[in-house]
Amino acid sequence: MSTQVHADLTESQVEQISSDLDEPEWLLETRKEALSALDDLEMPDVIQTPGRKWTNLDALDYESLVDPLDYAQDKDRIDAEGVDVLSWSEALSEHGDLIEDHFGSVVDPQRDYLTALSTALFSAGTVVYVPEGVDAEDVKIRTTMNSQSLFNYTLVVAEESASVTILERQENGDTVEGNQYYSGVVEASVGENAYVQYGTLQNLSQGTYNYQVKRGHADTYGTLDWIDGNIGSRLTKSNVETRLLGDSSESQIVGAFFGHDDQHFDIASRVWHEAEHTVADLVTRGVLDDEARSVYEGVQDVGKEAWDTSSYQRENTLMLSDESEADASPKLIINNHDTEASHSATVGQVDEEDMFYMTSRGVHPEAAKNMLVEGFFVPVLDEVEVDELRDDLDQLIYERLRE
Amino acid sequence: MSSDQDHLKETDTEARFEFKKEENAAFETEKGLTEETVRVISEDKDEPEWMLERRLRALEQFQQMPMPEGWPGAPDLSEVDIEDIVPYIRPDIETRGGAESWEDLPEEIQDTFDKLGIPEAEKNALSGVGAQYESEIVYQNMQERWEEKGVIFCDMDKAVQEHEDLVKDHFMTKCVPPSDNKFAALHGAVWSGGSFVYIPEDTTVEMPVQAYFRMNSEGMGQFEHTLIIAEENSEVHYIEGCSAPKYSAFNLHSGGVEVFVGENAHVQYSTVQNWSKNTYNLNTKRAICEADGTMEWVSGSMGSKATMLYPSTVLKGPGATDNHITIAMAGEGQDIDTGAKVYHNAPETKSTIESKSIAKDGGRTNYRGLVHIADGAEDSSTSVECDALMFDNDSTSDTMPYMEIQESKVDVAHEATVGKIGDEDVFYLQSRGLDDDDAKQMIVAGFIEPITEELPIEYAVELNRLIELEMEGSLG
Repeated sequence: MSTQVHADLTESQVEQISSDLDEPEWLLETRKEALSALDDLEMPDVIQTPGRKWTNLDALDYESLVDPLDYAQDKDRIDAEGVDVLSWSEALSEHGDLIEDHFGSVVDPQRDYLTALSTALFSAGTVVYVPEGVDAEDVKIRTTMNSQSLFNYTLVVAEESASVTILERQENGDTVEGNQYYSGVVEASVGENAYVQYGTLQNLSQGTYNYQVKRGHADTYGTLDWIDGNIGSRLTKSNVETRLLGDSSESQIVGAFFGHDDQHFDIASRVWHEAEHTVADLVTRGVLDDEARSVYEGVQDVGKEAWDTSSYQRENTLMLSDESEADASPKLIINNHDTEASHSATVGQVDEEDMFYMTSRGVHPEAAKNMLVEGFFVPVLDEVEVDELRDDLDQLIYERLRE
Repeated sequence: MSSDQDHLKETDTEARFEFKKEENAAFETEKGLTEETVRVISEDKDEPEWMLERRLRALEQFQQMPMPEGWPGAPDLSEVDIEDIVPYIRPDIETRGGAESWEDLPEEIQDTFDKLGIPEAEKNALSGVGAQYESEIVYQNMQERWEEKGVIFCDMDKAVQEHEDLVKDHFMTKCVPPSDNKFAALHGAVWSGGSFVYIPEDTTVEMPVQAYFRMNSEGMGQFEHTLIIAEENSEVHYIEGCSAPKYSAFNLHSGGVEVFVGENAHVQYSTVQNWSKNTYNLNTKRAICEADGTMEWVSGSMGSKATMLYPSTVLKGPGATDNHITIAMAGEGQDIDTGAKVYHNAPETKSTIESKSIAKDGGRTNYRGLVHIADGAEDSSTSVECDALMFDNDSTSDTMPYMEIQESKVDVAHEATVGKIGDEDVFYLQSRGLDDDDAKQMIVAGFIEPITEELPIEYAVELNRLIELEMEGSLG
């Protein structure tokens, strides 16, 4: 348990943040409760095998990373017709009741130490409200971090039969001395028959430690698709989760990561089937170079009442270097027998036969390898509906290969 | 049990038996497992000093180590009270062979044996009614056949006395040290009985070496130790057919299996286990495989209240191979948490894991595996396949593989599927005149075929019969 941060955190700092955002009393109370819960909360769960923790979050020096009142960011929000894409202060004044209804309903504000820290200290963020029946595309949120630490909170509410695709980008702007800390929480409520695709492209600097929780609830016939693209950061701990609460709801979780140098990605995709006829598809592809390390956990949890479930998971990792390490644990937890479920995971390197085929046709080995790696990501890129996200991810992969 | 009685007289065990009774009374007031308990066991076996020292060190480690708790979805071991472990050993020391006669066995177990169609003599052996005497004859027969070639096959306690150097060198040192886990440490402190198998260089034992019965023959049989040493270019198939449903009141089985596969040697270890439904089966099994050696684990895990068992292999030399074929079946109130662990520590090592499980009537099966490919183990490959079959909605089936890959030039694949018994398959068979029960049994038999075909025919038949018995009346 880390108490380094807490020593420096005061209630008055939390009050300061809250008043900056013009918050109602209930939200300030939620923050204060999260702050006082820090003493008793554990770090987020990480995978452990005997003698080994796959990600050591306790080793992070939060004291030097977190500066609660120093927050600076650029936010660029592009809305779509009929959709409200608002800053927290705007959203609280325009949709106070809606926010009170949904805030903390999907992500427990005190789920673990780092989430509670985010709840207590978030100063940046966005509320995306898609009213009933609105069909919208291409909502874009760009977050540029200009301070030591930034706590970002995004709330998405899609009402009945609404539809929206959202792209969120996270980057660093002004140079800051030393390491940085980015924390992002995304809560998504997907109403009956609604559709949400929420894509993230994380390209933070390699001095930035990154903690993210993205979690959504899908109602009857609702669909919630996540795209989780991770390129940047020094260390990322990302949790992407869907609870399929309504009959015939669906979720797809698509992940892509490309690590190099000594980057560490701890990626978890989790889905809970809690109603009948639900469908989930988890697809993650990652590439590791240099001394980069990936830790992947995928969980398909089929509840007792989840009759007629279909659940699929695939995770593939390519290792380009001998110093890299790829750990994977795809988990199936099945409590209903009327289930068709499968998962698979593979780790390997660029296929030698493919290389031979291409080099024998005159392609330079380096170029051949790059083409094969780019091709490796294609099945994942194909699932991305927002053009900008797909193109940028593709471009970042392209650039990284040629670094 | 006259032969048993005679034997006791012959070996003067009765006198020692009395002595132990006294000792038991002496430490009855003690809580938990104490140094005294361990000393009594060692003294009773007339062990060399080094073995006592190993036991005591294991005891120390046991006392310091935590329970395997906090694992996601791990079986509930709260009933396994360490403070109660010694009292469970005690009656075993007193009664030696367990039940006095066939009639003393619980009806359920007698019934199972009858249904299995096992002859009376074998029933006695299987149920543990037959004691050490009969079992030694089994061993003796083996020895006669192979001893000319230098093959050793004997009781583990005897091996400590007669093959001291080999045992001293290999016993819980390199393969399963007591520090491995809490129950390995417990095992190291109180182990008793088991098999010792030694195959010299360039020797092939063509027929399977079978330890059909050992469990209750030697005092605390639930802590039996199996040590197999296969030297360079040797080959052996060891079968632990001690699949008897355990009838005893003791509810903890914590055995230890260590296998040393020499260069280019080939060892197959097959086991069909069917513990009573009140047994906690917390076992540690491991093999170390040298260059070009092959280790094969074939196991059927039936029975027990909760099982935590992950046979593991360390692929130490280049070109070493490890294959696991396992089947687990969990019925009402059972939690079978099992899987395979493989450490690829050398180049060009290969492993395959094929795991099948069947869950029914509220049982839980879990595959919990670990594949570790160390940096430098280039050109290694592993493939893991898990299939789970579920019969009803009270049952649970989980798959939790872990893969740690530190080397890039590898080929790693894991696949798992879960499904209910196919309605279409059942319909197909029914439309050809089979009733529902038969159709389902046929599907299960097909599902587990990859396991049964690896077993000698009598074990395959037994496994099939056990599964049929488990399924009887629960279908339709």
